[in-house]
Amino acid sequence: MKNCNCSRRQVVRSLFTGSMLFPAVMQRLLAESSDPLAPHAPHFPAKAKRVIFMYMPGGVSHVDSFDYKPKLIEAAEKGLATNGKSYVKPLWEFKPRGQSGTMISDLFPNIAASIDDICLVRSMRGDHNDHFQATLGIHTGSVTTARPSIGSWVSYGLGTENQNLPSFVVLAPKMPYCGSQVWSSDFLPGCHSGTLVSAGSDPVPNLTRRAPTQQIEDLELGLLARLNRKHQMSRAADPALAARMKTFETAYGMQMQMPEVLDLSKETDATLALYGLERGSTKGFAWQCLVARRLAERGVRFIELIDQGASENWDSHTDMRAHEPLARNVDRPIAGLLKDLKSRGMLEDTLVVWTTEFGRTPWADSPQGRSHHNLAFSSWMAGGGAKPGVVWGETDDLGVKAARDEVHVHDFHATILHLLGFDHTRLTFRYAGRDFRLTDVAGNVVKGLLA
Amino acid sequence: MRRLFALLVCLASAAAAADKPDGLDFFEKKIRPVLATQCYSCHTGKSAAGGLHIDSADGMRGVVTAGDPEKSALIHAIRRDGNLKMPPSAALPADEVGDFEAWVKMGAPDPRTAAAPPPYDYGKAKNFWSFQTVKDPAPPKVADPAWSKTAIDRFIKAKLDEKKLTPAGVASRRALIRRATFDLTGLPPTPGEVDAFVADVAPNAYDKLIDRLLASPQYGERWGRHWLDLVRYADTAGDNADFPVPDAYRYRNWVIRAFNDDKPYDQFVREQIAGDLLDKGDRAATGYLAIARRFGSGGAEFHLTIDDTIDNLGKTMLGLSVACARCHDHKFDPIPSRDYYALYGIFQSTTYPFPGTELYPHAKDFAALDPKNAARLKAYQDETSDLDHRIRDLQDGKQGKDLSKEDREKEVWRLKERMAVLEHDAPNIAKIYAVSEGTPADAKIQIKGDPYHKGDLVPRGFLTVLGGATLPADEKGSGRRELAQWIVESPSFARVMVNRIWQYHFGKGIVGTPNDFGARGDAPVNAELLDWLASRFRESGYSIKAMHRLVMKTRAYQLASEHSDPDARLDPKNEFQWRFDRRRLDAEEIRDAMLAVAGDLDREMGGPHPFPPEVKFRYTQHTQFFAIYDTRKRSVYLMEQRIKRHPMLEVFDGADPNATTPKRGSEETSLQALTMLNSAFVDEQADLLAVRVGMAFSPDAERIRYAYRLVYGRSPSPAEIAECAQFLAQTSVAMKKSNLPADRQPRATLASLMHVLLASDEFVFVD
Repeated sequence: MKNCNCSRRQVVRSLFTGSMLFPAVMQRLLAESSDPLAPHAPHFPAKAKRVIFMYMPGGVSHVDSFDYKPKLIEAAEKGLATNGKSYVKPLWEFKPRGQSGTMISDLFPNIAASIDDICLVRSMRGDHNDHFQATLGIHTGSVTTARPSIGSWVSYGLGTENQNLPSFVVLAPKMPYCGSQVWSSDFLPGCHSGTLVSAGSDPVPNLTRRAPTQQIEDLELGLLARLNRKHQMSRAADPALAARMKTFETAYGMQMQMPEVLDLSKETDATLALYGLERGSTKGFAWQCLVARRLAERGVRFIELIDQGASENWDSHTDMRAHEPLARNVDRPIAGLLKDLKSRGMLEDTLVVWTTEFGRTPWADSPQGRSHHNLAFSSWMAGGGAKPGVVWGETDDLGVKAARDEVHVHDFHATILHLLGFDHTRLTFRYAGRDFRLTDVAGNVVKGLLA
Repeated sequence: MRRLFALLVCLASAAAAADKPDGLDFFEKKIRPVLATQCYSCHTGKSAAGGLHIDSADGMRGVVTAGDPEKSALIHAIRRDGNLKMPPSAALPADEVGDFEAWVKMGAPDPRTAAAPPPYDYGKAKNFWSFQTVKDPAPPKVADPAWSKTAIDRFIKAKLDEKKLTPAGVASRRALIRRATFDLTGLPPTPGEVDAFVADVAPNAYDKLIDRLLASPQYGERWGRHWLDLVRYADTAGDNADFPVPDAYRYRNWVIRAFNDDKPYDQFVREQIAGDLLDKGDRAATGYLAIARRFGSGGAEFHLTIDDTIDNLGKTMLGLSVACARCHDHKFDPIPSRDYYALYGIFQSTTYPFPGTELYPHAKDFAALDPKNAARLKAYQDETSDLDHRIRDLQDGKQGKDLSKEDREKEVWRLKERMAVLEHDAPNIAKIYAVSEGTPADAKIQIKGDPYHKGDLVPRGFLTVLGGATLPADEKGSGRRELAQWIVESPSFARVMVNRIWQYHFGKGIVGTPNDFGARGDAPVNAELLDWLASRFRESGYSIKAMHRLVMKTRAYQLASEHSDPDARLDPKNEFQWRFDRRRLDAEEIRDAMLAVAGDLDREMGGPHPFPPEVKFRYTQHTQFFAIYDTRKRSVYLMEQRIKRHPMLEVFDGADPNATTPKRGSEETSLQALTMLNSAFVDEQADLLAVRVGMAFSPDAERIRYAYRLVYGRSPSPAEIAECAQFLAQTSVAMKKSNLPADRQPRATLASLMHVLLASDEFVFVD
């Protein structure tokens, strides 16, 4: 990057808001004007300070991965069927893992090895069986109309610790189902919208300096600050003007800091190996996971990692073997991220969430594939006050639906908010005459998931 | 399904206490889920079986004796140890029966209070301010009559005097023309226009200015956009694949023309609801109904589209959150669920055009622009659409069950061949995205908003509190024609619109919640003024342009936007209008103003977007439609999508294409700053502005002067010229270190200055 230079940052800061030149009245106004991104305390003290939310689009098969169903294997081997559709045998062998001996398949061998750090939910349930609606549901709690994303709610509730980076960052190689509605702040203030960051030369739109040289940009910013200040002198006490001046400072900070976040050259070989990332590569989920850790270190509040996009994802209708390369892309990086966070002491206050929009049918769609199944799926959490080594809930013998301790998407959301210190019924926003919340009029905190 | 319905429930979420007592927790975990899944289907609503309402604590009082399971009929019914055995179909599992017993023993704690249908007292409800007929109060007498330029000012001044506020002075001529020009056209005044206005000493100079702006075609583009915000206009359908709607633009242009023609507001509304049914009506106007959001992959969730229609119509035209009554009687306003379904029947009796979806990609039920082509269009759309369904049914095994697999595949192949032939010869007929009459029928109440769970049939009609009219017995149509009239005749019809006009002029309405004139909305800050304006609006024959003149000729509109410490202490939000509020340009204004000052704006009206040909529409939720179409036309003509926003409009708080936007956000964000600093668009406009300025003049001082006049609408001071000249000198030295070729450096240097001017506060704020 064009030198991340602290003294230059100070110069810019003083140009825009520095006490030497800035009218005292504006300083006060700026401080008083409630900055929606200023850090706020939650409702009660909590361990989790930030979230890394990993979303696998398309629908990961629970019965092939985290939900061991020996009766399903039997049924498939006997050639049993339901409604004319044969049961399909999971393709990957289940083995006991970790100290808990939790049965997990070889689809995710590395995640399985970290099972003692994970709080696994086998009784998830959503409200819709179509990708678009279920994806909207897992992100916003609504399966019909657009609503604020969970990341936006968290940003709204907690603000950010680093004004130079967005509070809610999304790393996604391609557009997911429902497009940018997945990370939209909807009726919450726009600053809580997710910012899409991609690999490459312009990771955030308009981040790359356009001025031909840094010196010219500094000259431009200097003149801009002087013109704005003069404009403001004759228009005292307008917080909007003060707020706008501050955004240029933040933009400048982001221009400096974001490339530094994405510059992995100082990461050691050992770290890269942990994630399974080749030096210089910006490809795959490994890159997303390592960047997530760097964003988390720098105080970004909510980091969402979307695997693949709306196509070529986990939606394995025709052949379950399609899960294999997808798993290979995410398994080691995710396990690497958990280990890396743990060794840096960050797993304590970082809540890692892994989910998909629904599971897949225990029976066949086409001979080798499975269809959408919202009645049961598996998700997990780790760190940030989630209880490690727990397996919560279970599905019936064939993995069709929750048989014990069902966790609805609303309950899952309520629990995530609880781990961040929020009573989900009180994290509300008044819009169009009523108080809205992430969990609508439902949701119960699943106490068994709390450490 | 319980959760789904709960999710759709629109009632205000009770801000429950942080930690519920154990009893309530027990109820929520163990009791409520069973009640909801096993009992609610019969024991709720007006037709609750046996008159037993099991969805409230009150309703259950008769069958539960707190603390004593043996005296509780409910317990005996679920134990099935008496005559009454519930649920009728199958016994509850023993552990659930045990839960109920335990719950009654602990005193039957139940948080569900007041769920019984609120029997509204309509007589009383009509006393609420917005349900009363509009009065015509006389403007108050004020101590300083000279201050008032118009009657409106007397309403304002009386409040200012009452609150001991001292109004600001009058804005400068330059500030005034910039304010009025952005306000009415969304564009900056040209230097020539500023000079002419400043020099015009005629007493009616300002009146002439307003007349000129109202007569310009740019007026409709600006004020039409306000309306498009309200009706959540978009060029795509919003279904899972976000199908493009290439013909939606006709409605957009109809709105813009209606504003330019000063179409009376009552007629404007009538046509949008029933333009196809009126003697003097434009079918394209019903694009308002047609652009309601679509949901899902097939089209099965059409009840949500009707809900979106009612929600929008209620908020936009009546200022009421009618759609809250979809799942239950409205909690705050006197709108029972029956009223919602009285409206629902009207829209259920209407045929909405089908824009295509993932499963059925061919459009259907569009209107032909030229009625001569209607039959041909219908034949094509009916057959392609029918083929979509037949192919899908064969593939899903819903049809052709008696055929062998091979024969089924052959049949699919045959149908696809037929489709290919049809598509190859697709008729090139201009279409309208408009509604038409369907099969008229009343709708049944959908219990808790569930379309598969029907209650009473409700005759089509209007809101009870607004008169409760029903359709005449001989009405053979949907009832949209009557609905249009009921809306226009409702008491707050004029109030809602004059409040919006006021809000767009002043930045805030007399009622602060423009889409909610109900109990949860704000009360008017100046109720007499609101009614006085509504009376004038009606008197003018609902002329919106007449209202602009009325409002803009006031002193209140012409006040300076200056600060005053004593006033700010008494009224920090300027509710009583002791000054004019400074505002940031909105997304469209920023983009359009940049194009305008750079000389890059194409002022032609926009037409259709360059979508791919319709026969190629095969979008799915996996491969959704996404596009950005570049244009130099005004931003109102940008293609707007429902599942991904145009980047410029999104960054600067543009309208939400999925839900009505009664007021734009004006938050300052760092992404806006980045757009200003680094975006290709601003860069290009700065460069074009540099060329414009550089070609016109050669000495730096003259270039700076011209740039200031273009960008800020004023001449620079000598100190400002010196400052900018110094910047040019320093930048031109710095350019030598860049890798730009030497012959490009002067232009880039000047562009650098233009960029700073375009990014500055003085450009993006209006005093």
